[in-house]
Amino acid sequence: MITQVPQPVLEVHDLTVSYDQHPVLWNVDLSLPAGQLIGILGPNGAGKSTLIKSIMGLIPPTSGYIKIFDKPLQEVRTRISYVPQRESVDWNFPASVLDVVVMGTYGKLGLFRRPGKKEVQVAQDALEQVGMTAFANRQISELSGGQQQRVFIARALAQQADLYLMDEPFAGVDMATETAIFQLLQDMARAGKTVLVVHHDIHSAMNFFEWVIMLNLHLVASGPKDQVMTEELLRKTYGGKLNLLTQVTDLIRKQDFNPLKS
Amino acid sequence: MTLDTNALLIILTGALIAISCGFLGVFLLLRKMSMTGDAISHAVLPGIVIGFFVSGSQRSLEVIIGAGLLGILSTLMIDALRKKAKVQLDASIGITFTLLFAIGIILINLFAYKVDLDQECVLYGEIAYLPIDLWITPSGLNLGPRITWLAGLNFFLVTGFIYLLFKELSLTSFDEHFSSAIGIPAKGINLALMSMVSYTTVSSFESVGAILVVALLVVPPSTAYLWTKSLIPLLRLTAALGILIAILGYYLAYWIDSSIAGMMVAVAGAFFFGSALIKGNWPLGLRGTSKPSPAFDS
Repeated sequence: MITQVPQPVLEVHDLTVSYDQHPVLWNVDLSLPAGQLIGILGPNGAGKSTLIKSIMGLIPPTSGYIKIFDKPLQEVRTRISYVPQRESVDWNFPASVLDVVVMGTYGKLGLFRRPGKKEVQVAQDALEQVGMTAFANRQISELSGGQQQRVFIARALAQQADLYLMDEPFAGVDMATETAIFQLLQDMARAGKTVLVVHHDIHSAMNFFEWVIMLNLHLVASGPKDQVMTEELLRKTYGGKLNLLTQVTDLIRKQDFNPLKS
Repeated sequence: MTLDTNALLIILTGALIAISCGFLGVFLLLRKMSMTGDAISHAVLPGIVIGFFVSGSQRSLEVIIGAGLLGILSTLMIDALRKKAKVQLDASIGITFTLLFAIGIILINLFAYKVDLDQECVLYGEIAYLPIDLWITPSGLNLGPRITWLAGLNFFLVTGFIYLLFKELSLTSFDEHFSSAIGIPAKGINLALMSMVSYTTVSSFESVGAILVVALLVVPPSTAYLWTKSLIPLLRLTAALGILIAILGYYLAYWIDSSIAGMMVAVAGAFFFGSALIKGNWPLGLRGTSKPSPAFDS
């Protein structure tokens, strides 16, 4: 169930990615519409983060290519915003909340130039959007997990991009914060931004996403939520490995086959 | 206690070197790469020998270029061992710098009959000889100690480097992935930092030696990091410690008539342990003064 769209914001063509000759993403081919809140679902190790990282050019693909706004990544970098996983950095780094959010403006500043009043204002606005204004001068080491996540989202907002790629922004975030951030993301989508989110919880995915991508090493589905969130496709996404293992166990039992004996 | 020109020059040189090393050390510390600084300071030895052999002088540009290239090579080797051969970071550092250092020793022995390279000087340095090693122009003009000029140039370049690339250095230290994603070349910035560390190490050899340079790269930033958790104050405090270490190191060495470089590092160590005692998380019985953590100024 893969729906392709005309004039996509993001096109992924026959993408295969491997680590040490082990493919972790097989032949992913999809296109995504603009102005939508898009979820990437799949079990652990399904290649969700790998997909986001290859789109950002952080992992070279084994084959295939990616086009964003109909152009290669290098030409449109400043229009793309990225939220890495929270655990990917050391939060003991000596920086204030505002310092980290201002980092979102560095891409547009370019080499050597320093952030000035304008950049600080952009960062303050981004902090306000995630409800963290009161924490602007707090050291990042003193934040809770949910607050750290909101700082990362604010930094992405400060990039003032058109396409947002977020790698598990709701990991370790409480329900109230999750709902608040989802509403913010919905507002952004309504304003014409495209927001791509790696997500775990199927229940909240049902409530908030408009478009859903289901991954399990290969692409299971990509399309409007109503069409792809079916029991059959969810089982294909999450139950694939489980089914295969069950089959193998059954086979061994049936044939009394034991590789250790023979 | 005397404060003559020589004392002043030695303290000035010591402080310049301590500040240059400290500034770079802050970023090494934040990148959890302090031991990479150690590795570089040893791995540059073959570069120095080759540069020395090519130019026939310990004070030539070839020596600095050779050392710089070896410093970058050692950074690349450590990175390659870690990422491609899947060796732990600490092990890959240990393998790289001992191998390169050993090659340096073999080269020194091979060329020993041709060149006069003082191993003791490379390893330990002697800042006290500074006032008799003067930079005299061909026309006979005395410009003062050569090593002070070298330290000044190094200080100027390191400060300029950090001033120009402050934003890039701090971002790549905090979040390498994000900086690559927004188009700031994290690898390039890292190599630039490592080149500066190599250059600073070589430039400081003759005065404080290869081993004590490591202490100046690691100890003052670590001490300052116990007191502050913001970047600019961290750099300022590191610089202040550098100056203090140079002054106290000189007078204590003068007083007990011993190595100035050694005393500078001993003083740095004393500052560190004093700070650790005050700021560390000791069981209540061992705690000296228990202060609340200081307000974070920005």
